Amino acid sequence: MFLFAAFLALQLSACDNNTDAEPKFDQTPTERLNAQKAELNEALLSSPEGWKAVYFTDNTVLGGYTHLFKFAANGTVEMASDFDDVAKTYLSEVSEYQIQLGSTVSLVFTTKNKIHLLSDSNDYPIDALTSEGYRGDFQFLYYGQENGEIIFRTNRNNQELRFVKATKEDWDDLVLNFDMIPNIIGDPTLGLYRGLEVNNGTTKTTYDFNPFSTVTRHTTITDAAGSYDMGIGYAPNGLVVSPPVVVGNQKLSNFIFNETDGSFTATGTGSVSASIKYSDVPFLLTDDYKILLSGRAYSRFGYYTDDYTVDAATNSALFNEEIAKIDASLPAGQYITGVQLYMNHSLGNFIYYTFVGRGALQHFVDVQEDVAGKKIILKHKSWNGNTTVATPAFLASFDNYLMDTNGIYVKKESFKLGYSNTVYTFKSLSSTFRMTTWQLN
Amino acid sequence: MKLIKYKNIALLLLVSIVAISCAQDEQPGDSQLDYTQPEKTALDNWIATTYLNPYNINVQYKWNQNTVDNSRFLFPPTVEKVQPALEIVETIWLKSYATVGGADFVKKIAPREIVLVGGVNLNSVGTRTLGIAEGGQRVTLFETDYIDQSDRENVSEFIHTIQHEYIHILNQHKPFDEKSWSAITPGGYVADWYNYEIPESNEIGFITSYARSNINEDFAETASMILIYSKDEYAAFLDGIEDPAAYAALKAKEALVVKYFKEAFDMDFYALRDAAEINTSTVITN
Repeated sequence: MFLFAAFLALQLSACDNNTDAEPKFDQTPTERLNAQKAELNEALLSSPEGWKAVYFTDNTVLGGYTHLFKFAANGTVEMASDFDDVAKTYLSEVSEYQIQLGSTVSLVFTTKNKIHLLSDSNDYPIDALTSEGYRGDFQFLYYGQENGEIIFRTNRNNQELRFVKATKEDWDDLVLNFDMIPNIIGDPTLGLYRGLEVNNGTTKTTYDFNPFSTVTRHTTITDAAGSYDMGIGYAPNGLVVSPPVVVGNQKLSNFIFNETDGSFTATGTGSVSASIKYSDVPFLLTDDYKILLSGRAYSRFGYYTDDYTVDAATNSALFNEEIAKIDASLPAGQYITGVQLYMNHSLGNFIYYTFVGRGALQHFVDVQEDVAGKKIILKHKSWNGNTTVATPAFLASFDNYLMDTNGIYVKKESFKLGYSNTVYTFKSLSSTFRMTTWQLN
Repeated sequence: MKLIKYKNIALLLLVSIVAISCAQDEQPGDSQLDYTQPEKTALDNWIATTYLNPYNINVQYKWNQNTVDNSRFLFPPTVEKVQPALEIVETIWLKSYATVGGADFVKKIAPREIVLVGGVNLNSVGTRTLGIAEGGQRVTLFETDYIDQSDRENVSEFIHTIQHEYIHILNQHKPFDEKSWSAITPGGYVADWYNYEIPESNEIGFITSYARSNINEDFAETASMILIYSKDEYAAFLDGIEDPAAYAALKAKEALVVKYFKEAFDMDFYALRDAAEINTSTVITN
C-alpha cells in the first residue's frame, strides 16, 4: 500500500516543471565549478608580471616566505622565493601547475619548485617540527577574488593565502629581502630595548618586541597580560607580520624600514600606526623586580665572564666597557670573573664580585622598592661587612651604576642563554648600563 | 517474500518508463565535464611508450593528493629526475622479471600504478619510509629527487625499495607460507626495530633490522636483500654470521622464499637474482 502511494506521487510530479521554489543558483554545480575553474585560470594568466604571495605556513611558530609566480597558458609556472639565500632560491625555476577539480577548484603546483621547499619532511628548522618541514602546502583551494587579489585557502590546514599582483620590481628586488635581515635582527647600539608601539590615533600602547630568530622567522611580543605570536616575512623595504597588528578595524601588516633610527613602521589611516622601534627606556614595565624585594625567598643572579652570559646581546656597550675597565685597573694576572646578586640570603643582600688572582668582594646593600616606577634602588651598606671602608677604586665606576640613585629596572627575559635558566637583565635608569644574568636560585 | 520482490521490480519499471517519457523534450547535450586531456610533455609520451603501452602500468609523478598521505610533508619530483628513476625501475625490476618469469609476467602481476614522490618521507621517530605497496595495485616510491646514478649505495637503496615493494605486491596476489615463516624466529619481532643495529639483528636471524617489524616485512626484506646482493656478496654476508642458530634461520627463510617463487609463480629465484645482478651493474656502470 505504501509503495503504491509513493508511485502515485511520482506520477504527479514527474512531468511538472513549474516548481514554485526559486532556484538558488542559475547554474548546476558542474557549471559553477567549470566557471570557477575558467575564472581562476584567467586570473592567474591576467597579470603580466605574475603574482606575489607571502606565505605564512603557521604563524604560531614560523614566519613568512615570499614567493613570486608567473603562470603560462601551457601549464608551466616560473617561480622564485626568499626561502634561503644559500640555495639561491630567488633565482627562478620553471615547473608545472594544474587547476584541479575536486570538491572545489584548486591550484596545485604539481612538479617540484621553490614552494615545495616548505614541505620537505626531512628539512625542518627546529626539533618541534621534525618530519613536518616548514609545514607548507602547495595545493590552494580557490575562494574567489577581492580588490584584484586572488584568495586561496591552503588544502592542508585551511589557512587564507592571498596572491597579489606582482610587479617587475618584485622580481628584481626579491634578493634585497636578504639585506633586510640584519635590520630585523636588530642592533643593540640603537637602543637597549625594542618594542612595538601601537598608536590608535589618540593613545599609545606598547609591547616588548622579543628577540627575533631567523631560523623560524618568528618572535613574540609581550605585554602585562601575556605574549603574542608574531611571524615575520622579509621585504626589500621592510617586513611583513602575521597575524597583522589590529587597531580598531584596521589591520597593519606591512612595516617600512627607517634607516635613520632602525625602526619599522606600518601606517594606517586616521593617525593609526604601529612601529617596531628602539629605546633606552623599557617599553613595558613589569613587576619582575619584585623577586628581589626583602621578605621574598632567597634568589641569586649571576653574570660570568667565561660563560654564555658574556656574549648576551642584552649586555650594553657601556656595561662591557665597564667590565673591561675593571680588568684594566687591576694588576697584571688579576681579572674579574663574575658579578652575582644574592638577595634575601641568610647573610643579607649583597653583590658578590669574584676574581682571578684576588679574593672575592661582597657589597652589602639594602633594597628599596619604587612601586610607581616599578623598579628597585640599591643602597650601600658595607663592603664585606665593614661599613667604614670605601669602595675599592677599581670597582667604583662599575659599582656606581648598580647603586644608581634613580634605581634599576629588572626584567625577566623571554630568551635563554645556553642553559635552561631564566635570564634576568638589570639596567640602571640614569645610563645605558645593562647587565645580563642567569637566575641561579 | 518473493511476491513482494516481484512487485518491486514491476514498480521500478513503471517509474523508469515515466522518467524516459518526460525526458524527450530536451535531448542531452555534450558533457559539461572537461574531459580534454592535458597537454602531453615529452616525458608523458616516454612514459606512455615505456610503461603504459607495454605493461599497462600508469606512472604518476604530478602531484595528486588522492594518491599520497596528506598528513605527511612530501613534495612531487623535479621533472628532470623522473625519467632517470623510471629507467632504473624498468631495467632492474621489469627486465629482470621478464627475463626469468617470461615477457608477460609483470603484465599480469604488476602494480597498475607507480607513484613517484620527490621528497623524503620522514617519520617522527626518525626513520624514513622508502616505499609503500598498496592492495597489490599501487607502489609509491619516495626520494626520487635524490637518486644519484653514479653512487652505488644510493642506487642500491632505491633498487632495494622497488624490489621490496614488488615482493609485497606478489604476496598480495599469492600469500607465502606464513605459518612456517613465523615459526623460524618468533621471538625477534619488535615494534621499535629502528632501535637495533643491523649486525645485531643479523645475529638473531634477520637480514635487516626492518625485517623485525613483522613477518610480511621479514619476507619482503629477505627476498629483496638477496635480490640486491650479488651471489658472492650474499655468500660473504652468510659467512659473516657467527651465531649458528641465526645462520640456520637465515637459510630457512631463504629456502621458503625460493619455494614461494617456485610454487606460486614457477620461477627460479636464483635465476632472478642473477638477472637482477646483471641489470644492476648495467644501471650503475652507465
